[in-house]
Amino acid sequence: MYSAPFEYVRASSWPEAVDLLEGGGEDARVIAGGQSLVPMMMLRLAAPSLLVDVSAAADRSVDLVDAELVLSALVRHADIEHSEVVRGSCPMLTEAVTHIGNVRVRHRGTIGGSLAHGEPTAELATVAVAEGATVTVLGPGGERAIPAGDLFVTHFTTSLEPGEVVTAVRFPVPGGRRGSSFQEIARRAGDFALVEAAATVALDEDDRCLSVRLVVGAVSDRPVDVSQAARPLIGERIGEDAVGEVARAVAAEIEVGPHTHAGREYRRRLVSVLAGRALLTAADRAAGAVHTDHGNGARA
Amino acid sequence: MSTEIADRDATIVAPEQASPDASRRGAPVHHRDFVEKVAGTLPYADDWGFPGMLHGVVVRAQLPSARIVAIDTSAARAVPGVRAVLTAADVPHNGIHDEASGLGVDAIQQPVLAADRVRYDGEPVAVIAAETPGAALEAAGLVDVEYEELPGVFDPEEALRDDAPAIHAGGNRYVDWRSSIGDVDAAMRSADLVVEETYRSQRVDHAYLEPEAGIGWIDSDGVLTLRVSTQVIEHAREIAEILKLPHSRVRVIASYMGGGFGGKEDMTIEPFLALLVWRTRRPVRMVWTRQESLLARYKRHPFTMRYRTGVRRDGTIVAQDVRIVGDAGAYPLLSSRVLFAATVNATGPYRVQDARVESTAVFTNNVPTSAFRGFGAMQVVFGYESQMDRIAELLGLDPAEVRRRNFVQRGDLRVTGEPIDTGVGVGECMERVLAELGPPSRPSGPHSRIGRGFACSMQPYGRSVFFADRASAWIGLEQDGTMVIRAGVTDLGAGQAASLANIAGEILGVTVDRTSVHIGDSALTPLTGGTFATRQLYMSGNAVLKVARSLRSKLEPVAAALLECEPAQLSFEDNRVSVGDRSLTMAEVAQAAEHQGVMPYVHETFEAETGEFDRETGRGRSFPDYTHGAHAAEVEVDESTGQVRVLKYVACHDVGRAISMQRVEGQIQGAVAQGVGYALSEDVELVDGVPSSTLFAEYLIPSSVDLPDIRAIGLELHPGKGPLGARGIGEPPIGPSAPALASAIQDAVGVRLQRLPMTPERLLDALQAARGASGSVAS
Repeated sequence: MYSAPFEYVRASSWPEAVDLLEGGGEDARVIAGGQSLVPMMMLRLAAPSLLVDVSAAADRSVDLVDAELVLSALVRHADIEHSEVVRGSCPMLTEAVTHIGNVRVRHRGTIGGSLAHGEPTAELATVAVAEGATVTVLGPGGERAIPAGDLFVTHFTTSLEPGEVVTAVRFPVPGGRRGSSFQEIARRAGDFALVEAAATVALDEDDRCLSVRLVVGAVSDRPVDVSQAARPLIGERIGEDAVGEVARAVAAEIEVGPHTHAGREYRRRLVSVLAGRALLTAADRAAGAVHTDHGNGARA
Repeated sequence: MSTEIADRDATIVAPEQASPDASRRGAPVHHRDFVEKVAGTLPYADDWGFPGMLHGVVVRAQLPSARIVAIDTSAARAVPGVRAVLTAADVPHNGIHDEASGLGVDAIQQPVLAADRVRYDGEPVAVIAAETPGAALEAAGLVDVEYEELPGVFDPEEALRDDAPAIHAGGNRYVDWRSSIGDVDAAMRSADLVVEETYRSQRVDHAYLEPEAGIGWIDSDGVLTLRVSTQVIEHAREIAEILKLPHSRVRVIASYMGGGFGGKEDMTIEPFLALLVWRTRRPVRMVWTRQESLLARYKRHPFTMRYRTGVRRDGTIVAQDVRIVGDAGAYPLLSSRVLFAATVNATGPYRVQDARVESTAVFTNNVPTSAFRGFGAMQVVFGYESQMDRIAELLGLDPAEVRRRNFVQRGDLRVTGEPIDTGVGVGECMERVLAELGPPSRPSGPHSRIGRGFACSMQPYGRSVFFADRASAWIGLEQDGTMVIRAGVTDLGAGQAASLANIAGEILGVTVDRTSVHIGDSALTPLTGGTFATRQLYMSGNAVLKVARSLRSKLEPVAAALLECEPAQLSFEDNRVSVGDRSLTMAEVAQAAEHQGVMPYVHETFEAETGEFDRETGRGRSFPDYTHGAHAAEVEVDESTGQVRVLKYVACHDVGRAISMQRVEGQIQGAVAQGVGYALSEDVELVDGVPSSTLFAEYLIPSSVDLPDIRAIGLELHPGKGPLGARGIGEPPIGPSAPALASAIQDAVGVRLQRLPMTPERLLDALQAARGASGSVAS
């Protein structure tokens, strides 16, 4: 197939991108890596009138500032994959990006593009919610910060206003005995996920759980924060039985959408399995037992 | 991929730099097309273009069963740049002849463009040519077809009921085959144990790298010429019939293909291109999108296979009773032949003194099914091999030992009553793959289980003998001693052209770098028949061998006179003809021959062995010969998620003699990749005849990351009927993957899946059912 005709301009700065978007009207779209948008255009599932290319709007910077990991929106998945700074400060990002597409996609796709696209199976969206990231956006009305949990509305829909563009993503880097885990299952290496589960666990000196976050991705219309269901773990030593109860409760409650290649009940079972593995792995990592892995669903 | 492969890739050299050893068999010889493919310079069908060419698209029905009330093309015609909008009324002869069995099954004509009736979702109803692809697409969306929806039938069993909607006038039962030997009912009664199971296979797509594509034009001689991606240039005749032209006015040139696998055995774009070119008198290019290829290109037959096997306590088979139903989809195409192959292969490489096989091809309103690598003989491998494992399980015997006790040998009879007349190497292949798996892997996590399995198979090569198959070739020497081969072979990417150069080179001593192989031109190359049925090495290889030997016998007296020796003393090697330390260059031989009026070229025809088959009794000769093999796999199964990872894979086939061992290994590796997809993930899912997705991204062929290194082994055990003792290897390696993996999964987690593909969801359901049955608690 061929895409519908469109105009194309390059922005050399974020303010210029905002100006060009505003001038382009409601069918103008931002393009960076183009790994999601271009296939949709070729299938005529998207037909933007204007593409504003932001690839040259800023550097692909990765900075650790004041207990915060700040990624330029233009940072590519491969940048994350190979960054020691990221691995040291937010290892869930490193773990998650290896599930994205294939090596070609990871070398072109950007974190800003992935979050702004609002695809419910996007690994980085699930990680951003699980890690409590903040998304910095610039628009006609100036700059604002959106908590990742408030960004995703439904399929391909975010809380970004017209003319707004994602410029950076900030991940908190808390200290202490903390571990994280990202679990994913896809039918085939690099495919859209059937189910994702992301967990973070903080432990006290006595290995009791201080805080826990659990997010399930790819099954609903956006990443779903189910940390509430994991609250019974707080104050306890995290073990298989308690985690199993939490995981089953999460799976029973969560809304599971349809999928071409898998039934709802199967995916619900996977939610239970992956939520459990994510919590146990995160807890083990928090306790320093980084070499114990409760099974990673990855085919890769 | 293994380092072994990587090293080989690194040694690819341009033909002119090929080593002097390059023509020796076994050494990797890189024919021109291989080098060009790696370099990205080989023109595929859609790379060809003409100034001023038009772009063609097919307008397809969007429902599976309907009456066409009216077609309004006025809006489509009004799109600027549109040069033709053709419907059924514009087709001179709107029917494709398709009595494919060769044994007198009733013919049913398939329209080129649906006239009054739509029988499957995606059936072509109109074709458009326009100055730009965009204009053609826009016009396609404006063709207004008024349909009256009709009830459809989508399940073969339902289609066989008396009250099912009839898809064709003669009803939905298209063809029945039956073969039997001995007295199966009496033998079944005498068995110690009767094992009855049903196995199901699914509809899959060829998923070749190169979709259906080509270009057509009227050449300066007024001949309608198509350069297309096709396995069969002989379709030129069928295209002429459709246009009501003399056969001599249509020429088909086959470009090098990016895969065919049977999907380009029936015509694809050819009739549509031909209609548009003939009507517009302009060059036209047509390339199908992945979506339309997945929607409407003919698929592999889904089978339901019921096996009843009677065995003695020691595992010896005493009776085999098989019933196969295949979904033919909406039109016959090659279904009669596919079900024939299924019938005569259904008992596998095992002795059957008392056996009966019955099969039926059934029309439904699903996308038609036709040729696909393995062609009916591969679906039944899942049946007979699963059955062997089940027998071993029920009798508490080693599955390898059960097979050893039943393997056929030369001289045994098949279910058709014909004797096996070449050696059978299936046992050696089985022992080899079992030995090659090495020590078991360790599970990667607490929920993972490791398991191993294997499967054996047989697959015919060559067309059924009652077709009296023939292939012709021409070989000549140029004055500089270079060699020209002309043969109507089409090259799917498996080195069909290269093999001819190797075979001729072996007889005439001309190296590949000094050989040009002209293939696939219905006007200029001697016809060989298409590249399908694993027949091309057997047929064209034998033709080239015959021609090369004939040419050598013409040249020998010339060279012997010059070298003052007996012809029998001469050796032809490394572009020289020599005796002792005296030699002539091939150029000197060619020039001397012409000077003496001995023209250094020969055209001959190879005739395959022939035989009769009685359709009523199901007895007679089936195929010229069979290739046997065995595969073994190790898998890791995640008990909680049902995910299966293939960790190790070994595939071994008796190829008689390898013309090129590298290409044998390539065929095996490619077939295993396709077989693993068939086993675990691939499925063209239809809901009432409509695909649940036509996105290629959602059609689950395994990627390189999903596959292990595939250890491919070609054994040269028992000479076959191909050139120099070769056996065909194109199709045989696709059959054993599914049962080998089913067996490995069972070894890992204790449940046997009898339906393909063996998805994680189905496996988890089966595990849950098994746990429920055994009373244990699900985790």
